This record gives sequence, structure tokens and C-alpha cells, in this order.
Amino acid sequence: MTRLRRRSRRGFLTAAGAAGTVALAGCTAEQTGEGDDGIDDDGDDHEADTSDDDGEETTLTIATYESFVDAPSSSPGPWLAETFEEEYGVEIEWATPENGLNHYIERRNAGASIDADLFVGLNVDDLVRLDEATDDGSEEAAESGLFKPGAIDDVEGVSDVREELRFDPRDRVVPYATNYISLVYDGTTTTAPGTFAGLLEEDHRGALITQNPSGSTTGRAFFLHTVHRFGTDDYEASGDGESSEEGFDDYLDYWAALQENDVRVQGSWGDAYAAWSGGEAPMVVSYSTDQVFAAAEGADLEEHQVRFLDEQAYANPEGAAVFADTDRGDLAREFISFLLSPRVQGEIAELNVQFPATTTAELGAEYDELAKEPPEPVTFTYEELQGSVDGWIDAWERQFAEQ
Amino acid sequence: MSAPPPSTEVGGSDEPPVSVDEGTSPASGRSRGGGAARRVRAGAERRALAVLAVATTALLLVVFYYPVGTVFVESVVVEGAVTLAVFAEILRDPFYFGEFARLFAGENPVAVAHDFLGADRRLGIVGFTAYQAALSTVASVALGVPAAYLLARYEFRGRRTLRSLTILPFVLPSIMVAVGFVATFGQQGTLNTALGAVGLGPIELMFTLEAIIIAHAFYNAPLVARVTTAAWESVDASAIETARSLGASPFRAFRDVVAPQIYPAVLMGGALTFIFTFGTFPIVLALGGFQLATVEVFVYRLVQDLNYAEAAALAIIELVISLGILLGYLRYEARHAVRSRGARPLPRRPLFQLPSISVREVLPRVGLGVYGVIAAFVFLSPIISMVLASVTGGDGSLTLEHYRFLVDRQRTGAAFQVRPWTAIRNSLVFAAGALLVALPMGVVIAVLTTRRYRGRKLVDAIAMAPLAVSGIIVGLGLLRGLVFGVEIAGWRIVIAGSVAIVAAHAVSGYPFVVRTIAPGLEGLDRSLIESARALGASRARVLLDIELPLVWPGVVAGAAFAFAISMGEFSSTIVLATGTDAYTMPVAIERFIGRRLGPATAMGVVLLAVTSISFVVIDRLGGESFGI
Repeated sequence: MTRLRRRSRRGFLTAAGAAGTVALAGCTAEQTGEGDDGIDDDGDDHEADTSDDDGEETTLTIATYESFVDAPSSSPGPWLAETFEEEYGVEIEWATPENGLNHYIERRNAGASIDADLFVGLNVDDLVRLDEATDDGSEEAAESGLFKPGAIDDVEGVSDVREELRFDPRDRVVPYATNYISLVYDGTTTTAPGTFAGLLEEDHRGALITQNPSGSTTGRAFFLHTVHRFGTDDYEASGDGESSEEGFDDYLDYWAALQENDVRVQGSWGDAYAAWSGGEAPMVVSYSTDQVFAAAEGADLEEHQVRFLDEQAYANPEGAAVFADTDRGDLAREFISFLLSPRVQGEIAELNVQFPATTTAELGAEYDELAKEPPEPVTFTYEELQGSVDGWIDAWERQFAEQ
Repeated sequence: MSAPPPSTEVGGSDEPPVSVDEGTSPASGRSRGGGAARRVRAGAERRALAVLAVATTALLLVVFYYPVGTVFVESVVVEGAVTLAVFAEILRDPFYFGEFARLFAGENPVAVAHDFLGADRRLGIVGFTAYQAALSTVASVALGVPAAYLLARYEFRGRRTLRSLTILPFVLPSIMVAVGFVATFGQQGTLNTALGAVGLGPIELMFTLEAIIIAHAFYNAPLVARVTTAAWESVDASAIETARSLGASPFRAFRDVVAPQIYPAVLMGGALTFIFTFGTFPIVLALGGFQLATVEVFVYRLVQDLNYAEAAALAIIELVISLGILLGYLRYEARHAVRSRGARPLPRRPLFQLPSISVREVLPRVGLGVYGVIAAFVFLSPIISMVLASVTGGDGSLTLEHYRFLVDRQRTGAAFQVRPWTAIRNSLVFAAGALLVALPMGVVIAVLTTRRYRGRKLVDAIAMAPLAVSGIIVGLGLLRGLVFGVEIAGWRIVIAGSVAIVAAHAVSGYPFVVRTIAPGLEGLDRSLIESARALGASRARVLLDIELPLVWPGVVAGAAFAFAISMGEFSSTIVLATGTDAYTMPVAIERFIGRRLGPATAMGVVLLAVTSISFVVIDRLGGESFGI
């Protein structure tokens, strides 16, 4: 018996060794094409791509964030792909790299091909980061960037985009939708305050959950909203001196008081919303469209109330941009004007639960009622963020997490 | 001591008679096959270890050291020039190093020491990270050792299954643990409800250091328990019998014979726990909040902001501290190896049948009872809460809609969406693959690092680096080194998809195999090996026929860890799976996180179920035998 056992152990280990060797053998190599294909400044009439040699159909590869194509509730990706395929006879392939735009910045730095035609889901933070990492301000840097300046100028429908949402001074990115970040609270256990100052009341001690400004979009929006509201050395508060009346020198001063009142800063929107749903705190920083989801799930809307602090909410427009070295620039621009068309604007808004970016969008009436728009949207411009936002966050981190 | 239980599973009876496949088994070729075949075989055997060693080194270089190197190099090469300025800046920054920063800045050590002992000392982020890791380690050991005692020393129904499932928490994504913890330790959680029922509480645990430490214990106490159980089960009963027959009291026998064989395992569990909790990331922000941020939080933020020089420098500092702890442990392990000549395990006592009513019999069982209640809250309750969340609808009623969501997604999901069954299948295939690759890797490294030569412990520590390097840095390195590929002579070599995932998982898991096998190998009586070698057995044959069977509980534990690591791995998988269908269950869970907890928790329950079954299977396949 012992002998058999030993042998089966030996067999086990031999098999393991063999498996190891087989696994080692698997990797792919491809010839690196026509030399410096990576940074091609005129990709339009370029016939280098080999991916659709068999192609009855052309393929358009769109990079985006994951929930745009695959969310447990609803996502616009499948509808967009199907409709675009029907109308234009072009097959759509989605790419959803985990670290979003950074993936393409990395690709470019590594000299690897971009492998996508356009990016859907950029915000102004991404753009600032991209430019700070790759752009030294020179003409060549701008021309050889991931996206080409002025690339969306002649795209049909761009003129319909609401002016206040346009965030790229160099016209590489066009907004197709926007979110507003606000408080969401459970009306059965609390009444959220109407002002930033109200969050500091004893009643609301430990009552607010927000998210890490450097790890979450909503967290960053709320953070930037406080900077906008209370100001900093290099940015004057929007409160017109009101903030000094309330006794806050700047956003850091306000945050010190907020921390004193036990604000919770979690890592991601998912963690925060889960903790809020679990009753850990009655208020959470989230999207002003929260009731749309709540209604779809048949939840009690009283438990999903939206509050705009000081009648404001931070706007976070999302945009699309064509990669500079794509071979299908024209097709990519066609897709963008498809995104901006009235019917599609309405569909994206409802499927991605956002607000349309154009003035011509067709939206259902019920949606309009459940998705709340702030009386006064606020946001920082590209110029205001550039060169500053890193410092704002750094100073906040050093204050908030000091040990 | 009580009599051995009637049916110890040693050499279980479910085995077919040996003679049945004697004739067809390849091994019998030894006696009948021709001389040439024998020579080839012997040659292969002789070289087997060397070949495996080379393959292991190559794999580590390709999927670990090179990729990580591409990132680390950025900390010392800034704009083309070699510099240590980035390190100097971090070391002198009080935000990271607190009072220590002043030491690095060249202040008088006496003055710094004086301030450090003062009330308002600053630890800095690095100091705080070490502090919470130390507390987490103490908590994990405190919760892990009693479990090992129960599993190794008592017999009860379901013991083997329980042992197989010990390391289940290992595979749970942090979001699931966070959900479970809110439901257990939150303001309206099970604990406060229970406390309220007996007129106590409520206690606020969420967003405190305690919550983080309990969560770390949830993840790591099972690790301590599993390695300690393996060591306890390898204790040779005859040594104790000898000690007792020479007049030692049971306590004395435990102290002088049993305990020295368990300490190294407990310390190892502790050292690994420290390393993991030192590099902890999402769970800290989920349960503690940003005011308790650890080093890894800042590595993440710096990578996110493309500030690679500082990110890499910080990660290297983190790595040096972790490997320092590990090296300290390894030196201890080498000095305290217990010589053994094979083991006949200690007989287990029946848990629920007391042989006599005496303090010695009753007290440990009462202690285990108390431990059971605590363990139920720390380990079971979060898991049960997660299961409950998966069957609770938006209006609070019981429902199966979340599981229906999984079925629907499988049936109607678009090709580019994550489908549950694909995730399950991939997870199983990758985990099995990772196990099969990690086992020989681990065995080889364990053999190489238990040979006697100078600096072997340093080699061992470096081989353990996959445990200690920041997961965020590994992910970035894999992206650069494998996914984007390397250009060699006009060809871009790209390694991605399933093969790369299996390799990356194996690299993450193999250190566990080394750590669970090496102490046993170290302690083996060299004369056994020397005699076998003198009789003409190749090194590989000695390993397979003599050494590994003697440390078999360690091999099985290592296999279970390698499997678990693969099942729960997220950060490398998501990088390597990009653009393919090679996603796994943790990736699916992440994808299904939305406003409702249902779909993600339902997938989490699927992950738990699939992993549980796999663990039981691994354990049964591994068998429960000891020694020769």
C-alpha cells in the first residue's frame, strides 16, 4: 500500500513538472511592423492594419471603462454596438483595460501599438494627467500626443454640445455626457443639510461617507467641490468671501473641521455605497441620478434622496477622443457624431444613467424627473486644474492621513 | 493520554490492492525494461532537479523579476541619470517616516529617541503601517493557533473538511469582506444586535484600527492555523512517548518536545502575516478609511498619477522592510530546525467524548468552546452575511433574483461581457495549472535553499520576493514586461492571456509551497538521504521517495495555498486578461459590483462554493498520511 501511495505521489509530481514545461512554451511573437509606427502623425490614410484581412466588415476598436459596456444594471455598450453595426455596417470591438487611459499612456511610452481607434469616457482629470505626463508644452509634443489637437473640430454635432461642458482647450476631446456628484441620503433616518457648513453640525457627526480623491471619481469630484467652495492659495473660493465668514481659511481648514466631525473617506465608490446601503452612515457622496436606479429596482425613493450642498453640485463631463495614430480616424469621428445625435444622446443618458451633453438630446419625461440636475453646476476648468490639482490632493493627504 | 482513536485515517482503506496495476504501472519497467531505457531514465532522473531549477529560475525571471525590474529601475534612473535622490527625499519626509525621518536627515539620535518616547511622537505612514501590521500579526496568531490545536489534536465529525476549508477566507475579494464586515461589525450588524440582546453595546468598530486588525486576522489567522496544523501533525509521537517514559510530565513533554516543533510554524505564519498586512491595500480604506492609510495606498496613488519614480522608491522601501522581517525568520528557521526521522503522528483525542472528568480534559475543551464563539463572529459571520446579502432583494425580502442575474448574464450576455460560467471554468483551470506549476517550483527552491552553503538564506529571501513586492507594482510590471512585450531583433514578444495568467499565479503561489516544505526538509535526518544516495538512488529519487513523503502534510498544505492564491488573485489577472476571455471569478465579482450588492455577492457565493469543493478534493487527493 505504501508503495502505491508513493508511486501516485511521484506521478502527481511528474505530471506537475510536465505541466510546468508545457506552460513555459506558450507565448506569442509578432513582427513589429513598419518601424516607428507607434507615433504616426497622419494615420488617416494608412493601410497597415492586418486584423481584418478576411474583412467583409470593418472593425472599430473603442477603448472605454468597464461599466460602459458591462454593468450589472444597464450599460450603453451593447446597444451602441448593435445600433452602430446596423446603421453603418461596421463591427465594434470594445477594449476595457483596467487602468483606463493610463494603459494607453503606458503603451505609448513603451513604444507598443495603441490597438484602439478612439477612447470613450475621458474626463478633464485624465486629460490634465495625460498632458502633464507626456507634454512639455512644445509644439512637437502636442502634435505627437495620444490625441491630436483640433481633431474633433469638424465632427458633426459638436456644435450641439453645451458650451459649459466643453473641457478641452485644444479640442481633442468632445463631451458626450455628464454626471453631477452630490449627496445621497436616507430620508428615513436623517435630513441632509443644505450647506457645506451644515455637514459640520453635531447632528451629522460620522454621518457622511465619501471616497478617496485619488482613487475614485466621485471622491475626487466632492474633494474638488470643497476646493472650489473654500479656495486655496492659488484659487480663490467661489463663495465670495462667504467662506471666511464661516471661519475657513481654505479647503484644508474646512476638511480639518469635517474630519473632526468624523467624515468617513473610503477607498472606492463601491465600498462607500455598500457601507451606506448597510446602514453604516445615512449620507454618501454619489451621483445625482441615484433615484433612477432606485426606481428601477423598486426601492423606496424616500431612502434615496438627493441633496445639493449650497444649491451646487460638481459636474464631471465625460468625453470621447480619437487616437492620433488610428487608421480609421474618419470612421472614429463618425462614431462620435453618432454619439452626439439626439436619439443616441437620450439612449446613452438612460442606459448609463447620466445627463446628455447636447442641447438636442431626446429624453424620456420620467427620466427627467428622477435624475436631478443642480441649480448651479460647478466645475474646474482644464487650466485651473493643470499644475494645481496634484498639489491640492497632496496637501489634503498629508493633513488627513498624518500619523 | 488517551488511546488512539479507533480509525485514524492513516493509510486509509479506500485504496485498491497494490497488485492490481503492478504490471501496467510505468515504474515496473525498472525491473523488466532494457538497459538503454534504464539509462535514459536514470539520466533524466539525475538531471531532473537541475532542469527544474533552471526552468523555475527562467519562469521567475520572465514573469516576475524582469517585469518588476522595469518599474523599480525608475526609482534610481530619473531623466537618464542614476540617482538616489528619490529615496533620500522619502526617507527624510516626516509624513512617511515620522521621527525616523529626522534620523535619516542626520539629527542627533539621542534627541530623536527622546522625542520618540514622548507622547506626541509621529510614526509616519511607514511606521504606522508597521504598527498596524504588528498588531494584525498578534491578532492572527492569537486566533490561528487555537484552531491549529483543535484541528491537530482533536477528532470530531467533519474535522478533515474543516481543515480543508480553513484557508477559504484567502480567496475572498476585499469588497466581499467589507460587505460581510459591515453586516457583522457595523452599527446595525450581528454583533451589536447580539450585544443589544444581552443589554450591552453598541460598540462602534467600523472605521477604526480595530476593524482593520480584525479583517486582517480574518484573512491571515487561517494561514497561521494551516501551517501550524501541518507542523503539529508532523510531530513524532514516539519522541513524546520516550520523554514521558523517562519521567517527563505531560506539560514538560509538551514544552520540550512538541512546542519546539510548532514554534517555527507559528513564527512563519506570523512572519507571512506581517508581510501581507504590511502591504495591505483595499481593505484598509474599505473598513478603516483614509485617515488610516498605509504605504500601499500611496504606492497606488503615485502609480495612478504616473509618478513612477516615487512609487517605485516607496515600493522598494516597503519590500526591504518585508524581506528584512522574512530574512530574520529564515535565520531563526535554520537555527531551530528540529531533527526528525519520519513521524508517527500524535493520536487525536475525541472532542466530544471525555475519557474522564478531570481538569486536564475539561479545561481545554471549555477554552475551545470560548474560542469557537469568537471564531464564529470573526470567520463565519462575515461569510454568512455575504450569503444572506446574495439572497436579499432590494425591498429586504428573500429572493433568488441575483442568481437569476448570473444565469441571465450567462445566457444573454454579449461576447464582450463577463459571463459567470466562463469565469468559473477559467478560475478552475488556472488554479489547477498554477498548482501544477507551483508545486515543482516550490519543491526545487525548497531543496536548493535547504542545502548548506553561505548566503542560502539570502537566496531564500529573494526567492520569496513575490510575497512581498507591492501588488500594484507587479501589475504595472506585467503590463510593461509581458502585455506590451519586449522587442527583440524586430520581433515583439508578447506574453499574455491564459498562459501568462497561470505563470503569474504560480509565481505568486509557489513561495507558500517553499515555506510549507522547507522547514520539514531542513529538519530531515541527513543520514536517511546519504544512505539512499550511497545505495545508488539519484537525488531526484531520494527527494520523491524519501524526503517528500516525510514532509507530505507540508506538500498538501502548500498545494492548497497555491490553489487558493490563484483562485483569489485579482491584480495580475486583470492586467493579463485584458482583451481576452481569460477573466476569473474575482474579476467577475468586481465587474458585478453596482448599486445593489446582490449580483456581486451572488458571484462571491459561487466563488466560495467552487473553492470549498476544490479544497476538499485537493485534501482528499493529497491524503492524510504521515511518514513512511
